[in-house]
Amino acid sequence: MSMFENNKGVENMSANQDYFETRVDMSAEPISVDEFLADEETRESSTNRRDFLKFLGFSVAAATIAACEAPVTKAIPYLVKPEDITLGKANWYASNYYDGNTFASIMVKTREGRPIHIKGNKEFGFGAGAISPEVAASVLSLYDGERLTAPLVKGAESKWSDADTAIIKALNSIKDKGGKVALVSNSIISPTTQIIIGEFAEKFGNVEHIQYDAVSYSALRSANEKSFGKAAIPSYDFSKAEAIVSVGADFLNGWLLSNIYRAQYATNRKPENGNMSKHFQFEANMSIAGANADVRGMFKPSQYASVLAAIAEGVGAGSIPGVSAGDAKNSKEVQQAVAALKAAKGKSLVVCGENNEALQIITNKINHYLGNYSTTINLNDAVNLFQSQDAALNTLVNNVIKGTGVDGVIFFGANPVYSHPKGKAFGEALGKLDLSVSFASWNDETAAKCQYVCPDHHALEAWNDHNPVASIYALAQPTIKPIHNTASAQESLLVWMGNANRSGRESTVYYNRIRQVWEQYGYPASTGFASFEDFWNVSVHNGNTTPEVIVQEAPVFAADLAGLAAALPKFDGGVELVMYTKTSIGVGTQAGNPWLQEMSDPISKITWDNYITMNYKEAQDAGYNVVMDQEHGATLAKITVNGVSLELPVIPTPGQTKGTVGVALGYGRGENGERIGKGAFKTKEYGGYEEQDGKRVAIGQNAFKFVSIANGALSFSGSAKIEKLSGTYPIASTQFQLTAMGRASIVKETTLESFLNDDEVGYNLPHKLMTHHGPEAVSKFDLWKSHPVEHIGHRWALSIDLSSCIGCGTCLIACQSENNVPVVGKDEVRRGREMAWLRLDRYYKSEDELAIGTKKEDFSFTRLEKNIDENPTVVFMPMLCQHCNHAPCETVCPVAATTHSNEGLNQMTYNRCIGTRYCANNCPYKVRRFNWFNYPSYKKFTEINPSQDDLARMVLNPDVTVRTRGVMEKCSLCVQKIQEGKLKAKVESRPVVDGDVSVACADACPTNAITMGDWNDTGSAVRKASAEKRAYQALEEVGIKPNIWYQVKVRNHDNNELRERQKAVAEKRRHDEARFADHGHEDNHEGGH
Amino acid sequence: MHKEAAIREPLVLGHKTFHDVTNDVCQPIEGKAPRMWYILFTIAAIIGLYGVGCILYLLGTGIGVWGLNKTVGWAWDITNFVWWVGIGHAGTLISAVLLLFRQKWRMAINRSAEAMTIFAVFMAGLFPLIHMGRLWMGYWVLPLPNQFGPLWVNFNSPLLWDVFAISTYLSVSLVFWYIGLIPDFATLRDRVKNPLSKRMYSLLSFGWSGRAKQWNRFELVSLVLAGIATPLVFSVHSIVSFDFATSVIPGWHTTIFPPYFVAGAVFSGFAMVQTLMLIMRKAFKLEAYIHTKHVEYMNIVIMVTGSIVGVAYITELFISWYSGVEYESYAFINRFSGPYAWAYWSMMTCNVFSPQLMWFKKLRRSLLFTFIISIVVNIGMWFERFVIIVTSIHRDYLPSSWSMFYPTAIDIGIYIGTIGLFFVFFLLFARFFPVLPIAEMKTILKTSGESYKNETESKH
Repeated sequence: MSMFENNKGVENMSANQDYFETRVDMSAEPISVDEFLADEETRESSTNRRDFLKFLGFSVAAATIAACEAPVTKAIPYLVKPEDITLGKANWYASNYYDGNTFASIMVKTREGRPIHIKGNKEFGFGAGAISPEVAASVLSLYDGERLTAPLVKGAESKWSDADTAIIKALNSIKDKGGKVALVSNSIISPTTQIIIGEFAEKFGNVEHIQYDAVSYSALRSANEKSFGKAAIPSYDFSKAEAIVSVGADFLNGWLLSNIYRAQYATNRKPENGNMSKHFQFEANMSIAGANADVRGMFKPSQYASVLAAIAEGVGAGSIPGVSAGDAKNSKEVQQAVAALKAAKGKSLVVCGENNEALQIITNKINHYLGNYSTTINLNDAVNLFQSQDAALNTLVNNVIKGTGVDGVIFFGANPVYSHPKGKAFGEALGKLDLSVSFASWNDETAAKCQYVCPDHHALEAWNDHNPVASIYALAQPTIKPIHNTASAQESLLVWMGNANRSGRESTVYYNRIRQVWEQYGYPASTGFASFEDFWNVSVHNGNTTPEVIVQEAPVFAADLAGLAAALPKFDGGVELVMYTKTSIGVGTQAGNPWLQEMSDPISKITWDNYITMNYKEAQDAGYNVVMDQEHGATLAKITVNGVSLELPVIPTPGQTKGTVGVALGYGRGENGERIGKGAFKTKEYGGYEEQDGKRVAIGQNAFKFVSIANGALSFSGSAKIEKLSGTYPIASTQFQLTAMGRASIVKETTLESFLNDDEVGYNLPHKLMTHHGPEAVSKFDLWKSHPVEHIGHRWALSIDLSSCIGCGTCLIACQSENNVPVVGKDEVRRGREMAWLRLDRYYKSEDELAIGTKKEDFSFTRLEKNIDENPTVVFMPMLCQHCNHAPCETVCPVAATTHSNEGLNQMTYNRCIGTRYCANNCPYKVRRFNWFNYPSYKKFTEINPSQDDLARMVLNPDVTVRTRGVMEKCSLCVQKIQEGKLKAKVESRPVVDGDVSVACADACPTNAITMGDWNDTGSAVRKASAEKRAYQALEEVGIKPNIWYQVKVRNHDNNELRERQKAVAEKRRHDEARFADHGHEDNHEGGH
Repeated sequence: MHKEAAIREPLVLGHKTFHDVTNDVCQPIEGKAPRMWYILFTIAAIIGLYGVGCILYLLGTGIGVWGLNKTVGWAWDITNFVWWVGIGHAGTLISAVLLLFRQKWRMAINRSAEAMTIFAVFMAGLFPLIHMGRLWMGYWVLPLPNQFGPLWVNFNSPLLWDVFAISTYLSVSLVFWYIGLIPDFATLRDRVKNPLSKRMYSLLSFGWSGRAKQWNRFELVSLVLAGIATPLVFSVHSIVSFDFATSVIPGWHTTIFPPYFVAGAVFSGFAMVQTLMLIMRKAFKLEAYIHTKHVEYMNIVIMVTGSIVGVAYITELFISWYSGVEYESYAFINRFSGPYAWAYWSMMTCNVFSPQLMWFKKLRRSLLFTFIISIVVNIGMWFERFVIIVTSIHRDYLPSSWSMFYPTAIDIGIYIGTIGLFFVFFLLFARFFPVLPIAEMKTILKTSGESYKNETESKH
């Protein structure tokens, strides 16, 4: 029965029940597709003549269809359309993301009932809805084929009733014998969950709830307790700080609520406002914050104390007894920081990244002295994340290993077997307990050691509530019905207490409980709502409650400084190791997510691995391989910390402090081949997993083994021994070149002073040709007939602010998710074939440059290429198709597969492409990506590419074609979103305005570095941005007229040499132009005679 | 009758009669093939089949089996294409341009040079086909009326010009070659005993009877075709060079390319002719027809074109500096000092320095030396294309995308395979087709033959 039949004639209009029943009957006729598609076993009747004809007909049809290019294999239409789902139209739901480390307010895009994309809830969300790559990528983890589909009892899939019965029995018997149960969770920020856990503890008596974070900030809490009597993590506000000093804290990546800080930080980095915050970073690793710093000092972790002491002394907060300011006092960078802090007293912020109480107390002392507690730090609006009770967990771990004092453990969102330094022994000892349960969604390291695994929903499948900071309550709503037979952990706890019954996937147990809690506590505390229903609906719609204003008040600093020296971190004088988290993998929660594994690290540009970062010169001198590419891997080294050794490749990293090395956490997940996700393991060159002893091999090494416990807190730095090994290790990097080669029209940089006071020609030299008519802009000259886009209809354009781009990489994942960009795996990335439509170019400053892109008077190309500054500045440059109005790719395509739209887009017609790759060769930006293989079906990509997996395929955006082998692809400027925006405006009968149309990267950007809009609309933000003093087009002189403008990077530092040079350049140019203009005028004059 | 100065070196050595000429050319075809032929054929066929295997793997799996990457979208594929097209240049130049210039010495070599041209163009044509991501859609490059609405080819694209240039060149060369073969096929038809061979040659000779009118038309057609083919010699490689010259890539975007590519093509084509000719004259005992003088003439062409190419290289370097364009300068600095400097200097040594040795008369008349140089030149010319293509795109505008190119086994397999296939074709040609133009040879026998020259000389 075709859908067209239903539209026939009047009977449809007056359709009654009878009519539809007849229809249904007709469709039930036995001549159905099932009959000839059925399996051999299920087909009962023998083949008769009519069947034979049907087979014949079908085979011919099938053969014909198979001969066509892309047969549609499955298309399941809605028989009855759900009310709120319109085919082809996306529904957006506000929700919230929390994985134990990151909290973000999100908007989830669903299509035909499946979530396919996540962006920040910028309108209502907490922290301006800033997200991170992990948040954006979590939508893919939802569809991970290795997620548990049902509860496990002793490793075997079973029914919920069986698991429940056994667990209840065990819990009761422990209770009866007076035993103890520990509930080990990550930091619980859900008020309802806390209540449920409280009830659970009450019901079973001796239940200890231990909160544990893989990366712990326990020392920060205890330092605050000692300093101000409040064991809390305060809310920091980087947007209010005029001077920011960070000692080893990568607050733009990984440190506390870094995704939120990114947004805050960027608001105060806009030179157009006339001032910018001044950011000082003192650190060992080249971190994201360090890469963005105005002034960066290189120090070892063992020197952090003296840096802080020097600052304390310098600003006048007094000296710290027993802590010498030492050499740090003489450091130029520290002195500058001191001066800046003094100047910005009361509007500054000092943060320290070490999980060490003594260092945090000194930091508190400085902030307190500077008066920051009433401006940039709010101790009253406490952060509820990071409640880690390191000491309690250590006791538990030791007890379990010893086999005393605890009889049962329940794990909820925590994976200590992987992330705790004693994880291995702990995991082995778990078997001795009476009861071990995990709520993990994957049968992860800890879950695999547990008797029972009761898989929790994925966050996108479940209701939840959150209280990330004291001032705001948030709600997470499900965006899809649970895919598997999972149940929310809270429901499980309630069931075990006997307070609820299981009711399958449709269960509303936890939902009802959340509503009850919100009605009981949230509603009475809120104002302006007619009823609870009203309050609830608004909260669900916005994703959270309106933030309460929590007044800051300067606390009294009461810590005793005397004993601090003894509590400082200890180092043995050798190489110092600093563990960090990457912006992609974080602490490894989503290690099985191929998008995150393939996301190139903003600093190292390396994918699919963790490694040792070592000072570039030091590595070179020690004989480590510094030139790496497809065929030349990184030298391996053995790194030993506290007797634990790992073999890792060494990546020479400019800006790494001499005598220190860095290793990223979050790798080496699934060391014993645990089923933690398809993307978490190494694959072979021609597909299939690499195997060792029959187990899949984990990607990278687990650096959590290096975490030590000092003064009861987990410490993420320590002393290490490095031993060079003879072997090399293949590295999959997306960029091998370190510098911009002094090329002036790619990246432009200037100082704030220059920007505010000097001629913009100096730092943003326009490309002009000196003609007989006088100097003319390059854009005036055309070899080709212009596309009529400049003043007709729309002309889509982008403005990218290099000052705002901090290089977090959220845009990369957003682009991948929106545009179905394939994942190609380590081997292909190594071969330089990553498919990213949008990439983040990273350039270090060379010693032969004054700033990136400005050559010194005396330079050589060889030196430019190799002599990286000891402590280089870094620029990140998002690079994507520039949608040139005179695109070099368009002219060379023999079959016109890439053409220009009348809205200024350079569009790619996949169906027409024959794959000559000429366009890619002729692209000056090298942003075109070729489908070297059939990623959606070739065996090499089975394990990693989501489009090869029936479940993971659900994440694909149905508006964007999955490209086949042999065709070229590239950024389309999210043409599907443009179309959507245009249609929206059309339906509403109004012109398209800013905000109707956006691109995924701009939506995802936490710092709003990317602005998209219609350049022909003179009022649009992008049009205005393109006329700014800082606006320029990369490689403008090639004459290709891009539709993307970049904004010159402005750094708030004193670089007088650069400023003088730029002044001179401006002067010379003005002079030249004047001269040529005069000359040109004379010429014209003569011509006139 | 045409007279030739006595001091001119004869073109046919010894005392050859018309009958001798016919015999010398036809006998190798009529007799049994020597063992060497079978050995060579087997080797060539194996290599060729290996190449075909690699091509099938490529077509079945994807372009990814080559070593290309996001930055270097063309490497060995287009290098091989340009190299083979270049080799394919000598034949038509020899038969058409030299015909127009009435260079009689061309007669000894034109037949096999033309055959070589055609086979080389076959090999060349293969690469643009297989380098396509979707070969099965390859016919879209032809401006065929189609059902896709107004969608047609893009006449702005040099790749499209290539399609026209190569196909025109191939068809004209093929016709030219075939027309020349007709009288000789007729000779073979009249000589062979085997009925099957007779039938074949009879078909191939189009009923040639050797009447004066036919000869007259034959001459006319040859001249007309030579007229058509001559501009093609210059156009084909000029157009191939447009693939690069019209781009925006530093190192590609060079106006000097058309003449430079044509000179390079003649250079490599002549070198290949030398290589093949030196082997063939030995194998087929044609020393009387192809001798030192011919080799010397060709060496002079090699020397001159080699020098043109050398000047072009130096001009490129000068202009890159003189232009003051940052990217352009770096592209050339990178060429001679970057990671592919070894390829650049191999090219320089093979193409610029080695042909200069031809200034020495002794060396340019030495067959062994010529043989070595002819191979060296073709190695050099392969590197020239590699240098132009790969070292330009591997480091272009944005340093973030710079990369290297490493060939895979399939890259190598297909390249070697085309050499095998080329020799398969060439050996079949040598076995079944008259390798010298019998009829044409006879026209110069009485004027440029050694014994006749001496006779005329003594009469005076």
